[in-house]
Amino acid sequence: MREYLRRLIFYRELLYNLTLKEVKVKYKNSFIGFLWSMVNPVMMLAVYYVAFGIIFKLRALGMTRYEFYLLSGILPWNFFSLSLLQSVSAVVNNADLVKKVYFPREVLPLSYLGAAAFHFLLQEMVLVVFLLVFRVTLSPWILALPLLLLLQLVFTAGLSFYLSALNVFFRDIQHFTEIALLAWFWLTPVIYPISFIWDNFPAWATGIFMLNPMAHLMLLWQRITYNSPVNGPQAAYFSVEGFAYVIAFSVLLLVTGYYLFCRLEGRFAEFI
Amino acid sequence: MMLEADTGMRPASDVPALELRGVGKCFRLYRDINRSLKEKIINWRKRGYELFWALRGVDLTVYQGETLSVIGPNGSGKSTMLRMMTGIMKPNEGSITTHGTIAALLDLGAGFHPDLTGRENIYLNASILGIRRRQLEPIFQEIIDFSELGPFIDNQVKNYSAGMYVRLGFSVAININPDILLVDEVLAVGDESFQAKCLDRITRLQSSGKTIVLVTHNADMAASISHRVLWLEKGRVRMLGDPQKVVEEYHKAMSTQPEGSEFGNREIVIDRVQILDGEGRPTEAFRTGEPLVLRVHYQAMRPVKDPVFSIRFYDRLGLMVYGTNTSLGDVVIPELRGSGTVEFAIPNLSMLDGRYYVTVAAHTRDCQLNYHLLEKKYYFDVTSPVRAAGYLAMDCRVRVVPES
Repeated sequence: MREYLRRLIFYRELLYNLTLKEVKVKYKNSFIGFLWSMVNPVMMLAVYYVAFGIIFKLRALGMTRYEFYLLSGILPWNFFSLSLLQSVSAVVNNADLVKKVYFPREVLPLSYLGAAAFHFLLQEMVLVVFLLVFRVTLSPWILALPLLLLLQLVFTAGLSFYLSALNVFFRDIQHFTEIALLAWFWLTPVIYPISFIWDNFPAWATGIFMLNPMAHLMLLWQRITYNSPVNGPQAAYFSVEGFAYVIAFSVLLLVTGYYLFCRLEGRFAEFI
Repeated sequence: MMLEADTGMRPASDVPALELRGVGKCFRLYRDINRSLKEKIINWRKRGYELFWALRGVDLTVYQGETLSVIGPNGSGKSTMLRMMTGIMKPNEGSITTHGTIAALLDLGAGFHPDLTGRENIYLNASILGIRRRQLEPIFQEIIDFSELGPFIDNQVKNYSAGMYVRLGFSVAININPDILLVDEVLAVGDESFQAKCLDRITRLQSSGKTIVLVTHNADMAASISHRVLWLEKGRVRMLGDPQKVVEEYHKAMSTQPEGSEFGNREIVIDRVQILDGEGRPTEAFRTGEPLVLRVHYQAMRPVKDPVFSIRFYDRLGLMVYGTNTSLGDVVIPELRGSGTVEFAIPNLSMLDGRYYVTVAAHTRDCQLNYHLLEKKYYFDVTSPVRAAGYLAMDCRVRVVPES
């Protein structure tokens, strides 16, 4: 394991360059380039405001400023699902490289993760600006953003290692991931508040529901960006046990995933 | 005396750079690729593949500063061996130990991204090869110069021609400075002047004491630039050692194979080619200035109108040194019947040292159709009393005139 890590550290510039490549290539040949990452959340905010603030009138359910609630969850969720979808096929899509050049293969999924994280950070900045402009009270919790980002990166990286390695041998994984992400999305409190679950289901069901690490992560994201009491009690959820659970789960996933990936990577070149 | 022996090659050390011990690599040949989970479950009991040993029981030590060429027919395991040396694949049996950093030229420009510029791709490609930015900066300009891309370096790679693409890939790979360089057939790319440049660069790497492992189809080139040659056949070591001997044996083995390098519709068959000295005795050893007679025995299967016989001499690198034919010699054969001989008599050979391969052919006047072509099936050696470099023995008187 230490050997693998040393190799990865030796190739850190490759990880940096591949990430940079992904970032550059994404908006290459587009007129406003990086700005697209920022325009995206603005458009989402406008659409959600019209849809939920004007048409569905969720205010009646005690959800004020629902569009901000939604945005505070959906940006990190999109970051998660996008980076996962890209990194699942990271090894397979770079077959040429894998067959012909030696380098630590883990930089492939990691570079997609890094590029997605870059765009996500831009979007979060836009979100914070909007929170300020629309006078949604920010709390000091916002300072925990880098920490939470790191936690989500650990979780996503662990999962990516599992999926991208197994996808070399079973291409079904990448198709399965698409479907699974859809179901996962609805099983995670992104567009509905967690109280919907707590109020309507028995304790054992919510217990199972809360096994989902993404549920905890989403609650944390909502906590740090949408945390004003005026937004209703749903926003203020935070539990120490939940936090500890996600950390333990993510670290375990990363360590085992990385180990599996490194064990299998010697056979990538012949299977791909 | 060949000059390249004086300038290029440096004796190898006895410190190992690469050690292969009983290395074997086994592939699964799937009868029908069942990579989906469903089929895997349905056929879980049945083994859907056969085992194929691409390489087995290979023991090899490459020493530091040595150039080793690996030759062998297609499918003999050359590339598999190289890939295992780089670590792309792991052997199923045995072990590979490497001492020092390795760079491999397996595929030029692997990992180039079409949307990035040449300059951006240099950074990317170099880091794929394990080169830090700090190490790249000092050689960056050299890479650009070597690639001959000039102002195009700031264009997107997708607008490059195939040649530009390959040149850029080669420039990155050849200019980085590994302890061990693995090269796979890439010298076959680019135009002749670029190839010469690449060979020159390899010679420079040799003289700076780098270890080089070269996989090639061109056995003659292998012989001329390496310390030792490894001949692989069907995944096993057939022969390893002195370049001249191995390549000679290799050529013999290859030419006994029926499909070797003969072409033509065989309306005229060249039965035999004799290489004779001034007294008409068959020989393969000549000295510069001696006469040589090439006697071509032919047999016309049916009367053929206006055929042309030609001969060509090639050096070990595959460069044509001399060529002529009956038509250039103003000999017209209105119609050829039955059997006989055509003689090409050269009163004095003017080549310098080396082995020269002979191609003999009978074809139509416009060269559109070969009746029979024997490509480099024969050879002769020339030794020269003249000390000089290149191909030709010429009189040259050297004089130094100091200005007083």
